[in-house]
Amino acid sequence: MSAVDAGVMPHSFLAGEDGLRQWLTTRDHKRIAILYGLGITFFFFLGGAAATLIRLNLITPQGALMGAETYNKAFTFHGVVMVWFFLIPSIPATLGNFLIPLMIGARDVAFPRLNLFSWYLYMAGGAFTVAALLAGGVDTGWTFYVPFSTLFSNSHVFLAVIGVFVSGFSSILTGLNFIVTIHTLRTPGMTWFRLPLFIWAMYAVSLVMVLATPVLAMTLALIALERGLGVGIFDPALGGDPLLFQHLFWFYSHPAVYIMILPAMGVVSEIISCFARRRVFGYRFMTYSMLAIAVIGFLVWGHHMFVSGQSVYASLVFSLLSFVVAVPSAIKVFNWTATLRKGDITFEAPMLYALGFVGLFMLGGLTGLMLAAPALDMPLHDTYFVIAHFHYVMVGGSVMAYLGGIHFWWPKLTGRRYPEAWARFAAILMFFGFNLTFFPQYILGYEGMPRRYHSYLPQFQVLNVLSSGGASILAIAYLLPIAYLLWSLRYGKPAGDNPWQARGLEWQTSSPPPTENFLRPPVVQDAYAYQEPAP
Amino acid sequence: MSSADTPHVTPARRYLWVLAALLTLLALSAGTAFLKLGPFNSIINLSVSVLKTLLVMAVFMHETGARNLTRLTSALGFIWLAMLLALSLLDFLTRAVLPAPW
Amino acid sequence: MNASTTDLGLHRPAFLQEQFDDPLQQREAATLGMWVFLATEILFFGVLFASYTICRVLYPDGFAAASRHTDMLLGTIETAVLLTSSSLIALGVRAIKLGERRAAVALLLATAVLGSSFLVMHGFEYYREYTEHLVPGIDFLQPGVDARAIELFFCLYYFITGFHSLHVLIGVIVIVGVATRVAHGHFGPRRYTPPELTALYWHLVDIVWIFVYPLIYLVGRSG
Repeated sequence: MSAVDAGVMPHSFLAGEDGLRQWLTTRDHKRIAILYGLGITFFFFLGGAAATLIRLNLITPQGALMGAETYNKAFTFHGVVMVWFFLIPSIPATLGNFLIPLMIGARDVAFPRLNLFSWYLYMAGGAFTVAALLAGGVDTGWTFYVPFSTLFSNSHVFLAVIGVFVSGFSSILTGLNFIVTIHTLRTPGMTWFRLPLFIWAMYAVSLVMVLATPVLAMTLALIALERGLGVGIFDPALGGDPLLFQHLFWFYSHPAVYIMILPAMGVVSEIISCFARRRVFGYRFMTYSMLAIAVIGFLVWGHHMFVSGQSVYASLVFSLLSFVVAVPSAIKVFNWTATLRKGDITFEAPMLYALGFVGLFMLGGLTGLMLAAPALDMPLHDTYFVIAHFHYVMVGGSVMAYLGGIHFWWPKLTGRRYPEAWARFAAILMFFGFNLTFFPQYILGYEGMPRRYHSYLPQFQVLNVLSSGGASILAIAYLLPIAYLLWSLRYGKPAGDNPWQARGLEWQTSSPPPTENFLRPPVVQDAYAYQEPAP
Repeated sequence: MSSADTPHVTPARRYLWVLAALLTLLALSAGTAFLKLGPFNSIINLSVSVLKTLLVMAVFMHETGARNLTRLTSALGFIWLAMLLALSLLDFLTRAVLPAPW
Repeated sequence: MNASTTDLGLHRPAFLQEQFDDPLQQREAATLGMWVFLATEILFFGVLFASYTICRVLYPDGFAAASRHTDMLLGTIETAVLLTSSSLIALGVRAIKLGERRAAVALLLATAVLGSSFLVMHGFEYYREYTEHLVPGIDFLQPGVDARAIELFFCLYYFITGFHSLHVLIGVIVIVGVATRVAHGHFGPRRYTPPELTALYWHLVDIVWIFVYPLIYLVGRSG
């Protein structure tokens, strides 16, 4: 069953039906994962292009590149694309789709056609968003705050809102599919507490997607109706309340950030365990923590509204709950660290990404706690401190975990090994580039530089130039994997079934797996039995 | 081929009794709407709605699905809505309205 | 055509999809999927209910005045119609399970008829409200101090009932489709999951209306 010459595996899901039509009508979760991967990569670079424009513009205090309105459109596009078309689908739709059936020993997800439909919804949503860009862009910020988005913006809010609305259904259906798959398609013997933590992470994130995204959808629909008909419940002149929008919006958008981080946590648990050759410390606490993050994450949204005019008592409650939600995250950081103890640690690229994740996520999380205190949030709200905070968790955290996961499972997906030296170089370069880009922004925010402004006071220039310099390094670090991963498809060494000597059912089948995933029914084993010899 | 083929069904009469109960509750809420009961009007109406919902879920939707899991799933939906409502109302109900100085 | 049990290799019925080991697993998956979908529907409608609640807390008198403009008689009849339709579809699914094909088709079609009558009645309501200048954004003109609150109420009224009516329409279409397939023998004691799940959806549509009714039609009726 071992794949010596990976590219010619007779049953590989990549071989066989190869026309465009077969790919576009596939029901195979592995192919759908690749379809998502292509879309996600495309949108990543689109959002990255917007980021490039932003960082170029901020090299000089007057704004080197754009006027205010264009700048507003740039950061809006960056936010909308990166949040909804890159981060939220990234790990679940690519790695999740690819791995869930494999890890639980199933042939596919519960609803394969629905899975494909989810991808089409994602692409359709993306098309609307790109259309909004081509038509002239949106300038409301990714948060679409009213009354600007409903009454005063002259940009293409409607198109953008439709794009996000449609992609929201992709999220919901994917989450539904995953929940049902994990509940009903586990192979005999795969009990809940034998599941890899990545599956628990997918389960938790699916709960969030399913419970939060409908609220976003309806809220966007309400904006569209207000904008289109001149009526509605958010307009103070008509008796409405703009804060109602903010409550509804953040009820989704805060859990959304947990949609972005929970899968990353799942990936990191798998990688650290494998490359430290240790069982994950505190497996049960890890699962409970992820569920706790998923649930408590729904109760903290008001911390985005401390300066909005929200009642002080509500702010108090939201602040307290925001501190509470940090606890399970902290538990996870402790457990990852404890997993490393007495481990036989090696530093392949996935491990570099995973370790980078732990450190950067911790920094981002701690600064989040600072923002969760209303007294600190007063001066820091809408400054670069907030921007630095969320980029630390979303980019230093989620993106690094995503890349770590891509590298870790690349051999399984493609049957090829990527060039390790280049991968390590890219990971380290990324770490440095990332910190150079975003650490100065903490200081900028602390010193009072506001966000979403195309220009700034001259005293902020040095740090801005440092940040933009870091961004250029980061850009190179992101382009490198594209280059060498593509290279590896043709010239990479054949991977074999289990190049990392990892545990988990996905490593029991060939690389790439056959279409039906397992030619023989997999034998359920301990997914973290690293301290015992390989079976 | 044998007893495995005959699914378990609820007696038809039970469905009809539930319908009678639902229509009675409807009449109750419609009737009491015309009485001046202050806040109790809303309380009665919402209680009636909750009761009707429980009846529909417990009897009409009864046999479909693994009992605990489906209860949990529907409970989660309602609980999440309650969370949205409770914490939003916490804001709206506890605002201190400061009058403008002019 | 026997339904196989757990082993691959035994005969698999035509309706059994590849990813499932046996019909029971497929039924479990489809059922859980529908319940999860219903939970999302609670949240979809929930946004509108939450918005309504908050606005009503802000404008209790205005909402009472606005509610008095709605047609309580029609609303009550519509509620009775939907409740009855729920019982009919439950009886219909029961008939499918018992193999009583003709009764099942009759009950399902009766459900669809009641659902359609709901839509017709609601159409009359909308028309009447249009003639009374109660359609914000299109034709709204109300005198008095409560005008803004009334406008808010009716915004929400159209959002909620419109969204609900869309669900009723989809339900009616699907029920007619299911009834057709029952008539052709596709569903029966050996296979009844799709009709069951359709009924679940219809019950949800009913439950939503159970809450809509007092919130829209019964506020401030005592004067």
